[in-house]
Amino acid sequence: MIAAVLPPLSPGVLLAAAVASAAASLWLLLPRGTENVAARWLGMLLGAAALAGFIATGRRLGGLGEEAVFLTVSLVAVISGAATIVTRSPVYAAIWFAMALTGVAGVLLVLGAQFLGVATIVVYAGAILVMFLFVLMLAQPSGLAPYDRVSSEPLLSAVAGAVLLGLLTLTIGRLSAEPAACCAVPSRTAAVAGEPIASKPSATDPTIADDPLGNDQIARLGAELFGRHLLAVEVAGLLLLVALIGAVAVVSRGEAALEADRGLLSERARG
Amino acid sequence: MNSLSTLLPSPTTLAALAKIGLLIGGLMTAAAYLVLLERWIAAWVQDRRGPNRVGIPLTKIRLFGLGQPLADGLKIILKEDFTPKHVDKVLYNAAPLVILAASLAIFAAIPFGSVLPPLNIPGLPDPVPFLVAPGLDVGVLWVFALSSIAVYGVLLGGWASNNKYGFLGGLRSSAQLVAYEIPLGLGLLGVVLAAGSLKLDTIMNAQAETGIWYAFAQPLGFLVFLVASFAEAARLPFDLPEAEQELVGGYHTEYSGIKLLLFLVAEFLHMITAAFLIVIMFLGGWHLWGVTGSGNEVSWAGAFLRFGVLSAKILAVIVFFMLVRWSWPRFRFDQLMNLAWKVMLPLGLANLVTVAAVEEFRPQLVAALGAGPASWLAIAIPWAVFFVGWIAAGVFTPSGTDNRPIRARGPLDIEHDLLEHELAGSR
Repeated sequence: MIAAVLPPLSPGVLLAAAVASAAASLWLLLPRGTENVAARWLGMLLGAAALAGFIATGRRLGGLGEEAVFLTVSLVAVISGAATIVTRSPVYAAIWFAMALTGVAGVLLVLGAQFLGVATIVVYAGAILVMFLFVLMLAQPSGLAPYDRVSSEPLLSAVAGAVLLGLLTLTIGRLSAEPAACCAVPSRTAAVAGEPIASKPSATDPTIADDPLGNDQIARLGAELFGRHLLAVEVAGLLLLVALIGAVAVVSRGEAALEADRGLLSERARG
Repeated sequence: MNSLSTLLPSPTTLAALAKIGLLIGGLMTAAAYLVLLERWIAAWVQDRRGPNRVGIPLTKIRLFGLGQPLADGLKIILKEDFTPKHVDKVLYNAAPLVILAASLAIFAAIPFGSVLPPLNIPGLPDPVPFLVAPGLDVGVLWVFALSSIAVYGVLLGGWASNNKYGFLGGLRSSAQLVAYEIPLGLGLLGVVLAAGSLKLDTIMNAQAETGIWYAFAQPLGFLVFLVASFAEAARLPFDLPEAEQELVGGYHTEYSGIKLLLFLVAEFLHMITAAFLIVIMFLGGWHLWGVTGSGNEVSWAGAFLRFGVLSAKILAVIVFFMLVRWSWPRFRFDQLMNLAWKVMLPLGLANLVTVAAVEEFRPQLVAALGAGPASWLAIAIPWAVFFVGWIAAGVFTPSGTDNRPIRARGPLDIEHDLLEHELAGSR
């Protein structure tokens, strides 16, 4: 829809404009210690323009689906991700990060990768981020520390982030588009939203003969993990075990240090 | 693309929306009447009469107090929705929404209607299964994920209230929920391992086929899951997040009116979810020996019978939840954490190892002993582990019932002592 409204620009020009406005928007929005309401509004406008540019570019390159649900959840993910880094309050940043993760999980669910989507929520949003929030709430009950109000190197990081985004858009768009006609809609997106991907006939695409997102994807995932990637799984398990032992060791050393302090104390008291 | 028909939602979408509407309406009504049931049971336990007056309005018909939920609901909705000045407005308003939305979305994966034959509605391409999200391959994980989202509601509600009681309640609650998620997951893993699927449907069918409910095959897993789901639902004896005597109302101290209602409904929904999970995963779902059969092809009468069995079991578990509430005192916080990390976690691991070993060697057992004795042995081994684990937990648990004050000396104490000594030296 956006592509129809915009004048027929080439994808390259569109992408360059989107990257430039994304960089400017991030630079304006990143916290720098001074509050300037006009700059923030301008930043938000530029950010919206950048998003529209990226969507239009994706449409031109043919890498973006048409499903409304997909667009919604991916916009939630991107906007929340931006809000995570530009917001001033650490607690709000954590909440925005949780929103971003929910959006990513939604994208994965729409794409049919159910396990990854749900695992994202369980691991990141459910466990890690709750710990973050816990610490943030306990650490700064009263207001913000001064070093939380400024971001270091706002210009460089904004430009680097925007350029990375542009390059990724270009690469993924090129990859997913048919090599002959850049603007053709890929066959994947022809499926109607609401149909589960698993039940979709995949006869048109010969590469999905062994569809990893098929009906019993958990079983396939497990077989894959404990078949081809057994070594990686074992190494990861070993790493976690080492971390666990390390945590226990740190705790017991802390107690030993306390004991040593007590010894020191009694020595000093004697001396 | 431009025709009108694409703008209208497709019949499949409409059917899904209808199912969601039915589900939410049914759950809300169920929650309201469960409050009434809870009050009746409380009254019965305490030898009172309980609510028995409200009947049909403007008449004198009492109907045993069945009008009470409606009156309660109206009262709490019409109450002033007061927002204190000192709260963080955005998060204060978002917290009840988060917790209620997460508790409701859990039910998308819960199979109410796997027991009903698919219904053919004209105009629809496929038969409509009685499940909001059919084809969700990760049903158990979905439930798990969304119940971990519900923690945010509690934590944010406590923090945004900007009130020390609320904040302490929120912190306690999040620590408790995070701690008990691990035994909950371990109890669940045993069932997933035995059934070989994350689909709640398949888990029920596996129990119906063998006739052995997982509560009998994995007693230790059942115990761990039951205790952990009490803690996750924050029911007594695990209701520390809102211990009235210590924290006023816990994380919803500052809430009133409809926002308070949302919190309370979400709490009840957690209990209903827990009851559903316990019944589906450990108590055989719709299966009852000699009554419901075990196949997937059923008539409408058989389907309703199964639905009745499922509902009766769920109601029984909920009544059990409510009776426990009036039978046990509340844990202290260190007892709660000891129970989670030093008792439930090892027991859950023991259960997981046992189940894995039994499932691994089941073919060899069947080959050596024949099918009958092998299945008896596969039940006997977990029970042996259950009793050994129980005794070990009884003997080796840290003495969490000791009420003498314990105070560990921390770095601050040492600093303090050092300072005092230095002061004494300089004098």
